[in-house]
Amino acid sequence: MSPVKGDAKFTNEVLRLAGLEVRTCIQCGTCSAACPTAHLMDNSIRRLVKFSLEGRKEEALASSSVWLCTSCLLCTVRCPRGIRPKVLVGALRDIFEREGRKDKDQAYEDLFMRQIMDLGRISEALLSAEYLLADPASAVQTMEMGLELLPKGKITVQKDRIKGTDEVKSIFAELGKG
Amino acid sequence: MKLAYYPGCVSRSTGKEMDLSTRTVCAALGIELEELPDWSCCGATHVPNEFVSIGLAARNIIQADLPIMTACSICYSNLRNAVQRLEVPEVRSKVNAVLTKRYEGAQIRHVLDVILEVLQKNDERLVVPLKDLKVAPYYGCLLTRPVGGLDSPEFPTIMEKFIKTLKAESVNFGLKTFCCGGPIFMPQEKAAADIVYRILKDARKADAEVVVTVCPLCHLMLDARQKTLEARHDEKIGIPVLYVTQLVGIALGLGPEELGLNMNSVSPMAMIERIYERMTEK
Repeated sequence: MSPVKGDAKFTNEVLRLAGLEVRTCIQCGTCSAACPTAHLMDNSIRRLVKFSLEGRKEEALASSSVWLCTSCLLCTVRCPRGIRPKVLVGALRDIFEREGRKDKDQAYEDLFMRQIMDLGRISEALLSAEYLLADPASAVQTMEMGLELLPKGKITVQKDRIKGTDEVKSIFAELGKG
Repeated sequence: MKLAYYPGCVSRSTGKEMDLSTRTVCAALGIELEELPDWSCCGATHVPNEFVSIGLAARNIIQADLPIMTACSICYSNLRNAVQRLEVPEVRSKVNAVLTKRYEGAQIRHVLDVILEVLQKNDERLVVPLKDLKVAPYYGCLLTRPVGGLDSPEFPTIMEKFIKTLKAESVNFGLKTFCCGGPIFMPQEKAAADIVYRILKDARKADAEVVVTVCPLCHLMLDARQKTLEARHDEKIGIPVLYVTQLVGIALGLGPEELGLNMNSVSPMAMIERIYERMTEK
């Protein structure tokens, strides 16, 4: 499954991020069988691995499956080749984001990471409020959650910054470099 | 016992009762906690580049000299994953190049494991036996994943051992290690809701009086979301969902406010009354 006709640069970038062992994939489908959201996916996790190895960049990045992974790690626990498919999905997300592609799932992740860079910690209320702008349909669950949690004193907006934000920023900048 | 404590971001908001009950129970059991200075987010499940994710975890790890304890499965999994990956020399040197202090290895523990260890040595402090209480042990995914943590990811039993130590009974709960869908809740609400509904129905079918969790996201999904799911499916579920630290706190005879029981969405008060009724029946 070498990327003969496909985008070799894309394949190599996935391998750099997810590990060279991805090349040993035997396409057994254990990852897809283990996946709790497989039934919602357009392309199974097994196919994302195949697309990645064959350099089929557009098919891989356009797949809704990239954003349906819950990071539960069952694929990783079960892979008979010791591949970590969850990290491969992360690699696809990372490439998607670095190329400046946008959608609502990417927007959530982007806001999440920006908040870590800015404050060092996550304030869930702030994050949900910011996400509303990217995905107005999320207003329903945000309101429902808000009504449930507000009387319990569990909604707090913290904008305090940790001391080490410079270190956090350099972790993103240096380790996240393409 | 003295440990470094990593509270995690939710300790200040949706997981306040997790943090409160952890601190209260550890104090009652003589486990001294020293909060990590200037801790930062572990990245949870929203930092897709693994090198960055490892860097974020490592930044927290290097703040401590003691073994690090967390009550959150997501933090626990991320810190553990970082420790495993940092055994690869290239990864370690890459990460050490950006940190202000060198990473030199660490021990990561989950509060469940710490409490169980203390109680197995001495259970005299358990003054309220949770006899006949039917508990559904909900592991979720990240407590035991990746491989190499406190228990087997395929057939874990640590929560059943914990429940037994409290003199309660674990129910046979088929979906106990099934992911709650929490990480995709914001952008993919429907998908997450369907998963949570299945898990709660499974606990109900197993006759559980309470579900116990080890993760604030699982807790949020099963507890705070329960009322919405009841309305959506037009049926009563009504199962309290407690953190393991809250359940052990009840068995230690600690008060509801010290354990943050007033912060749970589904009130556990009727369940607590039953515990006391069963206790006085004897």
